[in-house]
Amino acid sequence: MIPIGDNILSSLGFSTAENYRAVQSGRTGLCFYEAYPGISEPIVASCIDRTRLDDCFSAAGGNPLEYTPLERAALLSVTFAAEQAGIDLAAPEVLFVFSSTKGNIHLLEEGAEARSDSRLYLWHTAGRIARYFRNANEPVVVSNACISGACAQIAAMRELAAGRFTCAVVVGVDLLSRFILSGFLSLKALSPAPCRPFDSERNGLNLGEAASTIIYRKVREEDSPQGVSLVEGAIRNDANHISGPSRTGEGCFRALQAVLKDHSPDDLAFICAHATATAYNDRMETIALTRAGLHQKPVNGLKGYFGHTLGAAGILESILTIRALQDGVILPTFGFTRGDTDYPLAVTNRMGYTQKTCALKMLSGFGGCNAALLFRKITRHAS
Amino acid sequence: MRPLYVRRTACVTTRAARVNGEEIPVVATSDPFLTALYRRLGIDYPRFFKMDGLSKLGFLASELLFWGDASRFLPREDCAVICFSRTSSLDTDRRYQASMRDYPSPSLFVYTLPNIVTAEIAIRNKLYGETSVYICETYNPHQIFRTIRNTFAHQPLRSALAGWTEYDGDTGEAFLMQIETQAASASEPLLSAGFLTTAKHNL
Amino acid sequence: MDELILKLKREIIDVLNLEEVSPEDIATDAPLFGEGLGLDSIDALELIVLMEKNYGIKLKDPTQGRDLFKSIRVMAEYIRENRTK
Repeated sequence: MIPIGDNILSSLGFSTAENYRAVQSGRTGLCFYEAYPGISEPIVASCIDRTRLDDCFSAAGGNPLEYTPLERAALLSVTFAAEQAGIDLAAPEVLFVFSSTKGNIHLLEEGAEARSDSRLYLWHTAGRIARYFRNANEPVVVSNACISGACAQIAAMRELAAGRFTCAVVVGVDLLSRFILSGFLSLKALSPAPCRPFDSERNGLNLGEAASTIIYRKVREEDSPQGVSLVEGAIRNDANHISGPSRTGEGCFRALQAVLKDHSPDDLAFICAHATATAYNDRMETIALTRAGLHQKPVNGLKGYFGHTLGAAGILESILTIRALQDGVILPTFGFTRGDTDYPLAVTNRMGYTQKTCALKMLSGFGGCNAALLFRKITRHAS
Repeated sequence: MRPLYVRRTACVTTRAARVNGEEIPVVATSDPFLTALYRRLGIDYPRFFKMDGLSKLGFLASELLFWGDASRFLPREDCAVICFSRTSSLDTDRRYQASMRDYPSPSLFVYTLPNIVTAEIAIRNKLYGETSVYICETYNPHQIFRTIRNTFAHQPLRSALAGWTEYDGDTGEAFLMQIETQAASASEPLLSAGFLTTAKHNL
Repeated sequence: MDELILKLKREIIDVLNLEEVSPEDIATDAPLFGEGLGLDSIDALELIVLMEKNYGIKLKDPTQGRDLFKSIRVMAEYIRENRTK
């Protein structure tokens, strides 16, 4: 299956092109917030411009008052992706797949009334998004913590292969709230400075807001003259701890093995890691890549540009991976200078160029879950 | 598509527990029912007491499914854990939200992710396979059946624990099935969504 | 001091949900982490919350916990010297 439309809506812009250009020119969307509302310490985060969001949402024909900010971001992202795809989202053969870690969780703060607010349910949010586009199919909603964006693409791939649907709108979104920020602070997982993925001096992650969408269409590769297709996806568990990453990179290693089972690592142009910039995550991924024999492949991480965008991350980072693979470039890892010396990894910190045809996207999350996606560039002589 | 079979079903609510429709007798004590069931089953796994309601339900249902299985703790990658839920982690979300007024609790925050129940089952049984949670408005047999089949279609799985895990603070239910690609003596074929309708109805 | 040690043990059992552990089961000088109580990284974070909530001690750096949570006695001594409530 190939993407026929996509969109990234983030602090770095409201289109894939804007975001891609920003990343290529080395800009970051991370900002320092001395006093984020309701949060006791200063934080570094990447936030969507809410005024621009509402203006664009209104311009696209939506009524901001009818939707929560999270819903507006998701709806706008799908609207932009659909314009590019040029398909009728209301068609019965189109399926919506929704990815979010906490959805409209900020509503809990709005008092007792919100205790029974149906907008707190992820199926409700997904349903509103599908209905906005007059799509009558029950959306698929995945909820696997930080790997949800990869799981949503895997679910889409399976649904398209099963035959009932021909297109899948995969949309991921998360916005920041006191709930999420205080939680990550309580886990001592946040860095007070811009994050430094894979750097030996990394000391935590930053959170970010984003909505991102990929619209996939089922095609036979030989029928598609160009593009990048999602060819494999796997989810594996560490079976080790509910929040700490495995010291052996167990689930991550097994996910990598699963997606490469029928593919040669020689074709890998680069690997886009989860790379949250916490000490443990990046170490875990390094161990998994080393065990899989992939430690000499170029590796990048994109959280230095966007922060960790939670349920949107797997989709946002896949879009940039697809774009880069298509253009034969390897995007730099913002925030990385020098890696751990005991486990050397070929982390990129400047633009690279490649002729190779495949790229891997890795994700890991709470609950010991890990996902890997394999993308392949469709070459002209494919048959 | 390989045929699938259901070897066993287990249902744990906040008041009763059943395996293949038969109730497990649990003598009422001053403990909450789930704790009484844990003790009745003679489980020695102190992590249980750290779990939230959703995880306790799912964990106990999985214990009932693996009951008496000598090979249950052998590490394996060919068994998936797939849960479906309406309310997700909302009960724990509310409890975490309450803790925020004072000191946000890191252990509550971790359980504000609904996939932790799948992790608890995977950790206990050393299951390295796929763990997935899907959120749906209702127990929708068609969507659940389709998702289970899709999961088996794309990887060399031999078995899965799959079903409905729901907890809203007062009531809760984990209805899990042990699904296999090989027929066993008492297993029933999982041919259509109809099986899922009947199986849950019969509980 | 003995009173503080007992109080601390009770608080730890309560906050970490050590349902089947009684204060007598926790050796005052034994390591809190590692074998024994089976505590993990989230438990360590909950202990950091406990220090702040019950004794007004704010740990700036979570790695401080490593030295502090060596044993109940080490914790109790630190609390006695640094508590603000």
